[in-house]
Amino acid sequence: MTDISHPGAAGRGIDRSQAIYWGVAALTTILVFGPITPIIFQAFLDKPLYDDSAVVTIGNFTRLFSEPGMAGVFFNTLYFGALTMIVAQVFGAVMAVLVGRTNLPGRKWLGEIFIWPLFVSNLVIAFGWFTMYGPSGFITLAAKTYLGGAPWNLYTVTGMGIVAGLSQAPLTYLMCLAAVTKADPLLEDAARSTGAGPFRALFSVTIPMIRPAIIYSAVLNFVVGIEMLAIPLLFGGPSGIQTVTTFLYNAGINAAVRPEYGIVGAAAVILLLVVAFLVWLQGFLMKGAGRFVTVRGKASRPSTLDLGAWRWPAFLFVFAFAFLTIISIFGGIFMRSAVSFLTPLIPFWKVLTTANFEHVLGSANYVRSIVNSVLVATIGAAIGTFFILVIALVARRSDFRHNRALEYIALFPRSLPGIIAGLGFFYAVIWLPGADVIRGTILVLILAFMIRYIPVGFGAIAPALAQVGEELDRGARISGADWWTTVTRIIVPILKPALFSCYALLFIHFFKEYVTAAFLYQPGSEIIGTTMLQLVAQGDNGPVSALATIQVVITAAFVILARRVMGAKIYG
Amino acid sequence: MADLVLQNLTIKYGAVTAVDNLNIHVASGEFLTLLGPSGCGKSTSLFAVAGLNHATSGTIRVGERVLFDGNPSNTVPPERRNIGLVFQSYALWPHKTVAENLAFPLTLRKIGRAERDERIKEALGLVEMLPYADRYPFELSGGQQQRVALARALVYRPPLLLLDEPLSNLDAKLRERARVWLRELQERLNVTTIYVTHDQAEALAVSDRIAVMSMGRMRQLGTPREIYERPADSFVADFIGSSNFFDGTMLENGTDKARIRLADGSEIVTPPGAAARDGSVVVAIRPEKIELSSSAGQNTMRVSIDQRTYLGSVWQYAVRSGSIEFRIQTPVELKEDSVLVHIPQEHCAVFPDKPGAN
Repeated sequence: MTDISHPGAAGRGIDRSQAIYWGVAALTTILVFGPITPIIFQAFLDKPLYDDSAVVTIGNFTRLFSEPGMAGVFFNTLYFGALTMIVAQVFGAVMAVLVGRTNLPGRKWLGEIFIWPLFVSNLVIAFGWFTMYGPSGFITLAAKTYLGGAPWNLYTVTGMGIVAGLSQAPLTYLMCLAAVTKADPLLEDAARSTGAGPFRALFSVTIPMIRPAIIYSAVLNFVVGIEMLAIPLLFGGPSGIQTVTTFLYNAGINAAVRPEYGIVGAAAVILLLVVAFLVWLQGFLMKGAGRFVTVRGKASRPSTLDLGAWRWPAFLFVFAFAFLTIISIFGGIFMRSAVSFLTPLIPFWKVLTTANFEHVLGSANYVRSIVNSVLVATIGAAIGTFFILVIALVARRSDFRHNRALEYIALFPRSLPGIIAGLGFFYAVIWLPGADVIRGTILVLILAFMIRYIPVGFGAIAPALAQVGEELDRGARISGADWWTTVTRIIVPILKPALFSCYALLFIHFFKEYVTAAFLYQPGSEIIGTTMLQLVAQGDNGPVSALATIQVVITAAFVILARRVMGAKIYG
Repeated sequence: MADLVLQNLTIKYGAVTAVDNLNIHVASGEFLTLLGPSGCGKSTSLFAVAGLNHATSGTIRVGERVLFDGNPSNTVPPERRNIGLVFQSYALWPHKTVAENLAFPLTLRKIGRAERDERIKEALGLVEMLPYADRYPFELSGGQQQRVALARALVYRPPLLLLDEPLSNLDAKLRERARVWLRELQERLNVTTIYVTHDQAEALAVSDRIAVMSMGRMRQLGTPREIYERPADSFVADFIGSSNFFDGTMLENGTDKARIRLADGSEIVTPPGAAARDGSVVVAIRPEKIELSSSAGQNTMRVSIDQRTYLGSVWQYAVRSGSIEFRIQTPVELKEDSVLVHIPQEHCAVFPDKPGAN
């Protein structure tokens, strides 16, 4: 046989790969730190960022802390976050064990319902709660009329925290469910064979094994609570309760009239530090979680615990939770969108109207916000998937010297609250020379959303990537392919299902996002979320619910399509 | 075809030295096996030759071409080494058919369609897999996948073929047939081959030469016969086949023989060997080399039989003489409680320490 001593792919090999490594690393670093840097600068400057005469100061922080009521704002935020976490953890974990591990009647469809809230924004959910449980909400009025009183008040920090907790329970549910169903039933069987009863086995073996999922989602929900805008804005606004996010939102939005750059920057930096600490804490607490890892390669038979006579009481409990915190919320939004006035005192059919939808679809601005939302989600998710894919390939599947650092930077947006990402991008497009061209376009929204959700997409791609044996790359390299040819011709085709899942997840997140866009949109680049924020502020509840309904319907259509046609895995 | 030279090859991971100062010259067309227990550095060395591991220092040369010389900027990346490699897991690309798997390296080499198809046919013919060209890897059995992996490594006619335990996933019978077939194919193509395995029977059967490795070091390099019959140290004697080890004290070390006192007080005569500083030695003798004897004499001892095990082709007996316990293998079924055994002088080997101590 003759020797082919010069493979064709030779020559440009090393340079091309290195160029991609460094290009991706540079782009990721700029995009992630681009919006944070101006905020940090602003926090230590006495005048606006773009003012050349600004000097360094720590006065913003001293002013922030001496501002009357500021201590209350920080206390509210922490209390609200903690309550959100506790409520979400208790209900989410209990539901996960009942649905995932017992013979609860209807566990299948109940389990489906529990993940609905994950597809829509906090804003839609908050509005639904307001419609049903607000001071003049449908269920509140019904309770007052027929039961003689409604003992809840959402317009307190405790009320807000409970609502936020109940609406975040599905996240805990999802994470614990994965842990509960993946826990090896052999371990429970082993406990049974040593003499433990079925409930004892569940509590002594299975529940402790979902501890990592509970810890992980606890910190996550605490962070979600701290950075949540919708519920504090809707329920805290009328009664004058402020959290750090509503403070930032109001101060940021009103910046034009009352310039508070410095204080906003300082508060943002503090929020950023708190969230970064919590994310670090999460990682720290998850260390050594390996001893709880029970996921084995072998598919094991799912075992269920027989509840016996407790089946129906348990069902009533779970169904009441699903009905009162999910079904009624969505139902309330749909009902509100179809009537002129929602109340249990007037029969539903007497106030039926299409006026809300006509109002929305008749306004060029509102229609444009729907079109923009679809565009941002469709195009943005595609760009995001590609970008995140390349990051994952370089971070996990290359000999790039700084691959660990790249992954660390790419996952940093976990610590970046949406409101800060939005504020940071807002500063950055003003501050960075040349960035002004994308100001007020949907392009800046796509960029900001993409940065914020790199960790979400990474989480969809990285596990699938880990499943692809490294020998496949090595086989391609030794066959004469350089790094880029290897990943594009060998790895990416195998990853296709994970890429679809990543696209679907990004689409859903981009489509429901509103906080990040709050500072970034301008007339012409509004999206459904920002339009709803505006309408909520004006108290235009009919059009809000019509928009929310349209958002839910488009999301549902997309989820069904993505699951059926693309085979994407979205939340199980 | 080309020869392969490894000079002072050292591979370190942090403080751990995976491969320590390896020197091997593999002649053109030679079939050389790297043999050793897991973790001995054999696969690490193989992947360093392929460029898939980063060596720390030393030289790797194929023919006239230096692939690695310790200077990172001179290191040839794997895709430009033009080496064939068969993985333990085969690493067939699951989304490509058999023919597409073979076409990939040829496409990368910008080989025209007609010649490409010709070469794929030829390579699949070599491994007798031509009828399976349009199948996907998951539709093939383990043995078939292994052949396709070999065809993929040969299709671009590399001067050097590396095989990383390619037979370890096959069942025992198939493995024996596959190794004969593999060796025949290698001789036909006359491709320089490095074969990595932990299976000593396989290594003895297929290799021109064997390099026995342990803990990153090469312990012995030689033909299968040299390795088996004249192990360089007690590790090799223990790892290749199996050996009894007798503790003893060197009484007299001559030019053609040595006299050693064993732990039970008896004396035996062995070939000369090195003793530890305090004069202690171990004598290695393979169980199947120990003979039954009818009369007492030099190197003969009476042993009592503790345990009998039927192994099919032979009987194995656990025997003892005083405090010395060892095994003997013989086709004869022994009913007696004690027998006389003779330890042939020429089959003994004397080492200063036991396996594991060095």
